[in-house]
Amino acid sequence: MAIVQQETFSIEDLIKSLRANTTSIGAVVSFTGYVREFDPNKTNKKLSKLHIEHYPEMTIKALIKIEQYAKKNWNITAVQIIHRYGLLEPNEPIVGVIVLSEHRDEAFDACRFVIDYLKTEAPFWKKELTSKGEYWVERKVGDESNTKKWQSKLQDCKTKVS
Amino acid sequence: MIKILFFASLRELFGKESIEMSINESKVKNVEQLLIFLTENNEDPWLKLVEMRKNLRVAVNHEIVDWDTPVRQGDEVAFLPPITGG
Repeated sequence: MAIVQQETFSIEDLIKSLRANTTSIGAVVSFTGYVREFDPNKTNKKLSKLHIEHYPEMTIKALIKIEQYAKKNWNITAVQIIHRYGLLEPNEPIVGVIVLSEHRDEAFDACRFVIDYLKTEAPFWKKELTSKGEYWVERKVGDESNTKKWQSKLQDCKTKVS
Repeated sequence: MIKILFFASLRELFGKESIEMSINESKVKNVEQLLIFLTENNEDPWLKLVEMRKNLRVAVNHEIVDWDTPVRQGDEVAFLPPITGG
């Protein structure tokens, strides 16, 4: 079950609680995304804070849907997404994805799918507060092509990316 | 009445989080027609939506949908600027 919260989180603690009471988990794959102080493409701008806005009534639904896609398409035991919103400082975690499975291949693929997919399908928007002003982050072309790549692989993912 | 929500850059552009309006259901049958209806007077800030059309996505009742999805009184419609989560 996906989590959306303002507070920070510990990926280690989440993994620990997901692994509790199970003995059949052979693989845990996790991804954590952090706030960067400098973007190599815009080195003249130092980030002081990152503001993340979301669509509260829709966000959890969208994330649960992505978790369900992952469970449907890979033989995994559990999947957990956690995503923050509000004002974040450099170095703080933004997003975490954890996948538990019996074997590693399924966990690696499902984790990659979940993070790729939520980047374009879960209603979050980032604004960089920098020394040179405030800017809404623009979507990367690569993010879109990653989602499209999964959509062509998985018949179940039918929501179009415009 | 339908409720139209704005997020991120669009919320700043419109200076508000949402508006409510009634639509003529015989004229506005889907979200594409709603966008045309909203922007037909070529007035700012609606005009900006037309310019952004290629990069806009739309959600009806909390679900991202295609532009030919029906829209009815009581629906919540959100025009979403490019998503940058993760």
